Order: sequence, then C-alpha cells, then structure tokens
Amino acid sequence: MSKVKLPDSKAGKLAWKGDIPITSRYTAGVAGQKFFQALKEEEKILGTVCNKCEVTYVPMKLFCERCFAQLDETVDVGDTGRLVSFSVVYIDLDSKKVNPPQIVGLIELGNSQARMVHRLGEVKSSDLRVGMKVKAVWEMPLGREGKITDIQYFKPV
Amino acid sequence: MKLRKVAVVGAGITKFVRRAQETAKELSYHATKMALDSCNMPLEEIDSVVHGTAPDAFDGVHMKGEYLSEASGGWRKPFMRSYVGGGTGVFAPINGWYLVASGMYDTCVVVCEEKMSSCQPHPQGAFLTIFDHTTERPLGPNLLWIFALEMNRYMQVHKIPREQIALVSVKNKRNALDHPSAQLGAELTVEDVMNSEIMAWPVTRLMVSPTSDGAAAVVLASEEVAKKITDNPVWISGVGWNLDTAYWTNRDLYYPEYVEKAARMAYKMAGIKNPREEINVVEPYDPFAYKELHHLEGLLLADKGQAPRITAEGITARDGKMPSCPSGGLLGVGNPIAAAGMMKICELFWQLRGEAGKRQVKNSPRTGLAQAWGDLMQVGTVVIMQRGD
Ligand SMILES: [Zn+2]
Repeated sequence: MSKVKLPDSKAGKLAWKGDIPITSRYTAGVAGQKFFQALKEEEKILGTVCNKCEVTYVPMKLFCERCFAQLDETVDVGDTGRLVSFSVVYIDLDSKKVNPPQIVGLIELGNSQARMVHRLGEVKSSDLRVGMKVKAVWEMPLGREGKITDIQYFKPV
Repeated sequence: MKLRKVAVVGAGITKFVRRAQETAKELSYHATKMALDSCNMPLEEIDSVVHGTAPDAFDGVHMKGEYLSEASGGWRKPFMRSYVGGGTGVFAPINGWYLVASGMYDTCVVVCEEKMSSCQPHPQGAFLTIFDHTTERPLGPNLLWIFALEMNRYMQVHKIPREQIALVSVKNKRNALDHPSAQLGAELTVEDVMNSEIMAWPVTRLMVSPTSDGAAAVVLASEEVAKKITDNPVWISGVGWNLDTAYWTNRDLYYPEYVEKAARMAYKMAGIKNPREEINVVEPYDPFAYKELHHLEGLLLADKGQAPRITAEGITARDGKMPSCPSGGLLGVGNPIAAAGMMKICELFWQLRGEAGKRQVKNSPRTGLAQAWGDLMQVGTVVIMQRGD
C-alpha cells in the first residue's frame, strides 16, 4: 500500500512524500531465454539472422523488425569485436562523482555488424580509440546468473 | 469535412494468460504478425502504426509505446501511441481510423498489448497513483473500492439484486469456453458466482476479470485498398469518445453519462437512429459483471435499470436478439487492459464476417458495436462496425 506520510509540520509546508509501490518482474522472453542461457552456460553471444534483410540481431530477437519474419536461425557472433564509439562517464544517476570514471563502449561483434553496448575495462581512457579490437571478459562460470553482466566488461586485445 | 471510408481487413490475437513466457515485444509481434498474415499484407504495405497500451507501470517500461513500436510493425514508420487507460483498446482503433479517414494514409496497423504480470506484487499498485495524491491516496484506494461503490450505487438506484448481476459472469465465462485465447472460460451457476470470495462488497471474485498478459491487432485500410485485399471488408461506420471529470466523487455513479455521449457521437456518424434495432451484436466493456449492464444502458441499448432484465430474458445470450460479449468478454477471455478492448474489435470483425466459429452469433449480424471504458471511471470509447454488403 501507499507510503504516504503526514505533512511536515516543522517546515510548515503542505507536502507529502509518496511512491508508486510496485516492483517489476521482467521475463527474458522466448528469444531472451536462449540468449541468456548461452551466455551463462556456453560463454557464447548469440544473435538471430534475417537473411532476407541481411541483418543480425544481438542480443537475439524473435523477429525481424524490418520484414516481420520470425527468426529461427541463431548465430554465435563470437566474443570479440571492434569499438565503434565510447564515453568516459564521470557522473552517476544521482549526479554524484564516479571515481574512477566508468568507460562504456558500443561494440560491433565479429563480422556481424550487430552492435551491443557494454562496459570497457583494463584500459586507460587516454588509450581508447575508435576501431580498436576488444574482447569480452567473462564472469567465472559459478558466478554467472544468466544476465548481461555475466560479461564483466570488454578489454582491448 | 470529407472523411474517407475505412475498413478493418485483418485481425490477430495471442492467447490471454496469467503470465506469458513471451516479452511484451514478443506478444505484440505475434498479434501483429497474425493480423497481417490474415489479410496477406506484407509489412512494407503498411503506411502507419498505432499502438495502444495502458500504464507504463504494468510492463515496468517507461515510454512503453516507443519501446513496443518495432514489435508492432513501426520500424521507420509514422508511429503513435494512444492511451486512455482501460478505454485504450477501443480508442487506439479510433486513432488508426482517423489516420486513414483523413486521407493521410491508406493503411494502418493498430496493435494493443499489455503484460500485467511484470507488475509486482500486484498491478493494483500501479493504479494507486491514478488517484489524487493529496485527497485520496492517503486513504489507500484501489480500483475494487471504487467499482464496488459504483456497483452498489447502481444496485440501490434501480433495486437490482446481485443475483441478476451474477448472471453476466455466468454468460460471459460460458461464452469464453469457445474462445481459443480465453484464460477463464467456465461453466458456472449463479450460486457459484454469489458464493465466491467477497473482494469488496458487493463484488465477488467471479464478478471480476483477471489480470492478464496478451496482445491483439487489426489492419485498417482505405476503401480503395480494402477492396483489393478482401471481398469481405468490415467498415468502421462510427466512432465516439468522451471524458467526464476526474473529480469522480461528485458524479452520480449510477449512470455513465460519458458513455452515452460517446455512443451518441458514434450513432450519429453511423446514421443509426434506433440502436436497439440496428445493433445486432455488442461487445460492451465488462471488467466487472455489473459494468456490462451499466454500459448497455449507457449505450442506449437498454432502458436505465433494465439491462439485468434483458440479460435474464436471454436477449443478450449468444443466440439472443442482441448478443452481448459473445467473445466471452473480459470476464472470460481475460483482461490485458488495452488488448482486451482490441479483442472486442477483433471479435466484431470475425462475427460480422461469419468467421467466429463456435462463437458465431445466430442472427446473421450486419452491425456491431464495441465499447471500452477507463481512466478514472471517466472515459467511454465506442466503435461501430458494419458488414460490407
Ligand atoms: Zn527481415
């Protein structure tokens, strides 16, 4: 139920604190189930391919958004790729300083032209270059949960 | 203003279930794909896309419309989301209708989706914040409360016994046994409904629709395009919508004035003078058993306080003179909010084309009406559909 509080009499303001009392329980879905299972159990990044539109979707998607075909063909795009863009992040969600700054990158995987966003590690921000080759650093098998963070980050190779 | 004729040419629907394995996008995709395939329409021939979906809080995704756009066929197309709470499922096709009627586009796919199972511990939590944060929320209101108040007011004004309201649950849940998408089809007695758990007096559990995951979609086309696609288009001959005040406590809840206004707008557009003779099949919004009755009256399809009587007489039965909720309604098929209203549009499409299978009504219907209701018990949305010949 609601967490509405009484007016703050000290401040003399008629204001209430409240929230929307819900938690979300997200399903991975039909495609997501396979994607995260492969991530966790096989250390593989899977995509789905639409041959007609020549598009690979990573993380894998059940359907092609362009021609609306159901996609049944999965492809292992490998865990190395090319850095397409990056940023060095100094401020967190609450606008507080992040120390050390976090590096994020857009990574084109294998020869697929499919791109995913992830963290970058084991690299100095001054060494970052668009086009550099990067590889996934995996969580130890027992530590994996079938989540996107089963890949800890990508590092230059 | 010169409006073009708009037809429904295809329809699709997923199963409605308590918790789907599919994501919201996957549900939207399946319904959209089925609608497109039903009229052999490739996605590239769709000019515009409308997506109807209720509060973002259900799926737990802000900007849910945009999030679901590519799963509704909206990749690099003119896309819009439409949203009037529970009324969305019949409002989204109205939005699609005016995109085509205006001459802007020749085709539009209209998709409605809801994945309520994401919302924990219960989707009621998402509804709490539709109430005024200062005057109502501190009391911890929920939807059951206000519907119980409305139902009681309706019963008191017309002296309607609860047993007569329970008949709606019996009828709709039985009808739903014949719907392949249905979540809660059942063969029940009035006693079963009366004796089920009281949720908020006078509402019992079997008088309430479930929470559901599901999606439904239709394809709309201009007259010229529709005639190329099918020999059997179903025309949208009238639309109407109307909002009452959110200052809901000051209204008399026994009668939905805003539904009447929405209905009158749609009847006028469709040239309907005598709705009780001219509407052959009706899908009023039935999230609660009394709402079907309340809405039949608001739609002018029964005198005030007389909807229970025509229900008891079998006029609204599937083989009656004016079948109501032959689909099984929200009570039987399920209630993935926006998708539930769209399910009613799909049902009219199949009924008017004679393609409703075991659910087919017996009066060879020419004209049907679908209606939804929502926001803070304040919106009525109405679509009238007509067989082509
Ligand atoms: Zn494709």
